Amino acid sequence: MFVPSVTHPIGDFVRDLVPRIAEYLPASIQSEDLNSVVAFLINAVICIIAVCVVNIGSAPILIYMERKVCAHVQCRLGPMRLGWHGTLQTIADVIKMLFKEVYAPSGADKLMFYLAPLIVLIAPFIVCALIPFDKNLVVADVSMGIPLIIAVNGFGVLGILLGGWSSNNKYSLLGALRSGAQMISYEISFAMILLFVVMISGSTNLMSITMGQEGTIFDWWIFKIPVLGFIAFILFFISSTAEMNRAPFDIAEAEQELTGGYHTEYNGTPFAMFYLAEYIALITNSALATTCFLGGFFPPCVGIDAIDNVLKMVPGVVWFFAKIYFMVWCYMMVRWTFVRPRVDQLMDFEWKFLLPVNLVLLVAGAAFIAIGG
Amino acid sequence: MGIINFAPKILDPIPGGKYVVNAIDYVVNWARANSIWPLTYGTSCCAIEMMSSSMARYDIARFGSEVFRSSPRQADLFILAGTITRRMAPAIQMLWEQIPGPKYVIAMGACTISGGPFIYDNYSVVRGAQNLIPVDVFVPGCPPRPEALFHGLLTLRDKILHETCRNPWHEGEPKDVSTMDRYREAAKTWAALEEMKDEQMAEARAKFKEENPDYKSAFKPIRVKKPDFPEVERVPFKRLGLTQQELFAKLRTKFPNVTVHTRGEDTPEDVVAKLPADCPLEVMLEKEDYLNVVEFVKNDPEFKMDYLIDVTAIDYDDHFDMVTMLRSLEIGHKIFLCVQLKKDFSIDEEKRPTSLLASVPSITHLYPGAEVKEREVYDMFGIKFEGHPDLRRIFLDKDFVGFPLRKDFTHPEMIRRPI
Amino acid sequence: MSHQLPPGFRLERKSNTEEFFINMGPQHPSTHGALRLTLRMDGETIVELVPHFGYIHRGMEKQAESMSYLQYIAMSDRQDYLTAIQNNLGVVIALEKGMNVGVPLRGEYIRVMLQELGRIASHLVFYGCFGGDLGGQTCLLFGFKEREMIHDILEEVTGSRLTTNFFRPGGSRYDVPDTFIPRVKAFLDHMEDTMKDYERFLSKNIIVLERSIGIGVLSKEDAIAYGCSGPVLRASGVNFDVRRANPYSIYDQFDFDVPVFQNGDCYDRYKIRIAEIHESMKILRQCVEKFPEGPWRSKEKPVRLPVGRYYSEIETAKGLYATYVVAATTGEKPYRIHTRGPSFPHIAAINKMAQGHKISDLVTIMATLDPVIPEIDR
Repeated sequence: MFVPSVTHPIGDFVRDLVPRIAEYLPASIQSEDLNSVVAFLINAVICIIAVCVVNIGSAPILIYMERKVCAHVQCRLGPMRLGWHGTLQTIADVIKMLFKEVYAPSGADKLMFYLAPLIVLIAPFIVCALIPFDKNLVVADVSMGIPLIIAVNGFGVLGILLGGWSSNNKYSLLGALRSGAQMISYEISFAMILLFVVMISGSTNLMSITMGQEGTIFDWWIFKIPVLGFIAFILFFISSTAEMNRAPFDIAEAEQELTGGYHTEYNGTPFAMFYLAEYIALITNSALATTCFLGGFFPPCVGIDAIDNVLKMVPGVVWFFAKIYFMVWCYMMVRWTFVRPRVDQLMDFEWKFLLPVNLVLLVAGAAFIAIGG
Repeated sequence: MGIINFAPKILDPIPGGKYVVNAIDYVVNWARANSIWPLTYGTSCCAIEMMSSSMARYDIARFGSEVFRSSPRQADLFILAGTITRRMAPAIQMLWEQIPGPKYVIAMGACTISGGPFIYDNYSVVRGAQNLIPVDVFVPGCPPRPEALFHGLLTLRDKILHETCRNPWHEGEPKDVSTMDRYREAAKTWAALEEMKDEQMAEARAKFKEENPDYKSAFKPIRVKKPDFPEVERVPFKRLGLTQQELFAKLRTKFPNVTVHTRGEDTPEDVVAKLPADCPLEVMLEKEDYLNVVEFVKNDPEFKMDYLIDVTAIDYDDHFDMVTMLRSLEIGHKIFLCVQLKKDFSIDEEKRPTSLLASVPSITHLYPGAEVKEREVYDMFGIKFEGHPDLRRIFLDKDFVGFPLRKDFTHPEMIRRPI
Repeated sequence: MSHQLPPGFRLERKSNTEEFFINMGPQHPSTHGALRLTLRMDGETIVELVPHFGYIHRGMEKQAESMSYLQYIAMSDRQDYLTAIQNNLGVVIALEKGMNVGVPLRGEYIRVMLQELGRIASHLVFYGCFGGDLGGQTCLLFGFKEREMIHDILEEVTGSRLTTNFFRPGGSRYDVPDTFIPRVKAFLDHMEDTMKDYERFLSKNIIVLERSIGIGVLSKEDAIAYGCSGPVLRASGVNFDVRRANPYSIYDQFDFDVPVFQNGDCYDRYKIRIAEIHESMKILRQCVEKFPEGPWRSKEKPVRLPVGRYYSEIETAKGLYATYVVAATTGEKPYRIHTRGPSFPHIAAINKMAQGHKISDLVTIMATLDPVIPEIDR
């Protein structure tokens, strides 16, 4: 019988615990298979809850952070009245949106209309399950991690296309088509850069990619391969921004042109889901950048023992989240600094600049490995 | 709206359910009152103050309202910033209907409260947003300062906090307040109050006079002396190009029928000679000459009137004066061509206000910019332009009756200005 | 699509394209108020567009017929509310021509200084909207930040932030307070530094360059033919500025340049406004140095115009603002007042500029034309 397992300390703990509790049951229904299935189910529930907590829990924090970063870039204060420095503001927003009236426009394909925000949420949740948050803290440590991420990312496009198409609104449709073209194009360079990481690390497993960066800060993939690593990181940053439909590449929403693009017609809870998906995608992309380039959960050691020992006292998961939030901050600063390119310029940028550079990068990386070892 | 309205029905019969309902009330109201997302909507001056209020100095974000949504489906608050015209009214009603409930409306500025400066002699402004949609908060001012808008926002917040599940938000109904002439109503009420006060005080006054027959008021009005300002002679501004006399003489050699406005015995030449340097030459033409003159002054190397400033008209009892203002960008002189268009009195007197009374050739082929200007004249005066490519109403609806800038124009919604 | 085109569209329908119509406005974040555009699109490309006016037509000219001349000054505030103080002057100059009153030197200096402050304020709003419409929300905030300083000055002088209603025939309503000159000085010093930041933010940004160079080109001939004025005309290579051509007030006493650019695209229209802010600051510096003492207005007279027609034109931040006053009887009330706003021809020419561009470019073009719709509709 196939009994999959979930490997992390909690998983082992549950696996130990279940047979011990099962001893109290009548002997007739005790069996090894049942124990492992139950343990697996309990583990699965724990994992789902963990992923949900990390994702949904961080979304309000990110929204609050976005509003504050934006405000301070713009010489403002941002939310101030609700809670200490407006900390409760996003919670109020979320509750309000949950209790708003929900309706679909006439002529909309109702099923697709309500399904689209859910589909958009799939990709970031699955990607989050693959990310190693600490040495033993990973939900699904699959060996084909990177290909799975590349495959799953396609769901985002599907959701946005469906949402825009089913709204029965020309602005939504334009936004959806723009976003479809954009995300499919940028997915290519997104995948290329992940392949570059796979090539230099020699593994498609996210855990082993992270483990390859153990040591000092100069062992991280961004610095380990001189120049190339840094270029790859910048390219990843650009293409993941486009992949998430965030400004300056938010031509799909383009508030000034399309009044909101694909989510023009959404209100209340479905709109909140689009909003949520945008910020969860931010978290997962930052986590991916951290895993692939910034040394995952390893502290930024500098090679001096006295400092390194102090840094290593901090748990890895803290380092991981610190790096995630640094990346998020970078994404936000970019968002509030740049203006938006036009749709055809965005395509030109991808096909005429980003993709060729990526290919050159791949070749250069291969040459580096072949020569330097 | 939805689950929250049914909560009392379901929970109240359960023991302790009332406390749950109260808790839901508290949380939901707290959320709604503190997260008010306005719709990006503005028509005129108030919109700029609304924008200012979200900018760095005032920062509406402090109250959590900086999320201006451009789609009405994601907004909670409809800030009516700026005058509402009859043409805009259906759009406003549609926008309000598209906002999902619970939705709130702030009427910002005098125009949306009562019509503001546009109450009297006006045929196009809706007198108060209440006629169209229910309004929660009025913010007076013309335009209100951002602080006033914040006060309105906080007032709305208080209003939301008083909603409960048992007394939930409801859409409300628009009220018809448009026909009321507020100035006259207020004046009447004021006069009545004064009369009442006078009656009440009459007795006291008589009593006082009885008690103090020798009383004389010690009040002396203080006169503030106005500062003594000097008389200053006006210096006409610099003029470029040909003088008015030269222009007039040149035009007259080509078109002998051209004259200027004269009064009394003056000859046209005298009138032109007396014009100050910065007063443009305004010549009178026959309708038949109009197109030729325009063509001539546009192409003649001495005139070179390549720039159309404006086309407008003036309504007199029996004729229109249509004024075409031209300027030479290169040389710098200006010339105004005034065409007298006799009104077509062969039309029935009843039909006259709604029919085109005169016609004139269009100059669109010479000045593309004249297209919209001629449409405006057509819309406002009912002058037909022959050869115009797209003669439609421009500012008013296509089913609007009458031509507003004619002196005899009447509109059922118009209130005369009290003097 | 029905085979009959909606009113206003003129191009013949091509048989090989799938065209559709998009309605933009009257509530749309980048139509700058209550303008409505109907776009005829081929994919993302605009085939033709028709502007629809009148959503904020308030019948000011009809109202003016029953108003006194002075009341119309308040109406002019509400036409182009971004340059309210300049519109005031436009009306007042026409009245002065009729009444034949002059203004003392101090009064003229007050006029010129407030004019230039108003011009800077309006161009700052342009800067903000241009950046904002391109997608950089931060620019919007930056533009409005320094504008508040100007509003402080205006409020101190006129008593109002936006609708100033300040000038009167013969001068102005009040004298300026003592703090006026120091405040303007402080503002100029602050602005000098800030302008560098502003330009660094947009002028050399590669995305801004890509999106604005060669977009919405208005040739010199078209600009003249459509009657464009102000920065839009000067960006197309026509050196026309009323301050230079027919210097009203005392503009002939100041040393300033009229910036002229040649290409007539969106980037030039942006650059020209930045250059004009610098020129305005130059004029203000000269004013601050030479600001005279003495009477600030001439003798007050009742505003009664003799029979005649009076015309004035001034250069507001948007362009040529002309007022045409017709007095049929000597009295306090006009027979007719007509206002020529600068934005009207600009929007009329938008079809010429936007054809063949993308919908995103239309937003850029709209932003660089910097229209104010109530001034078009009046």
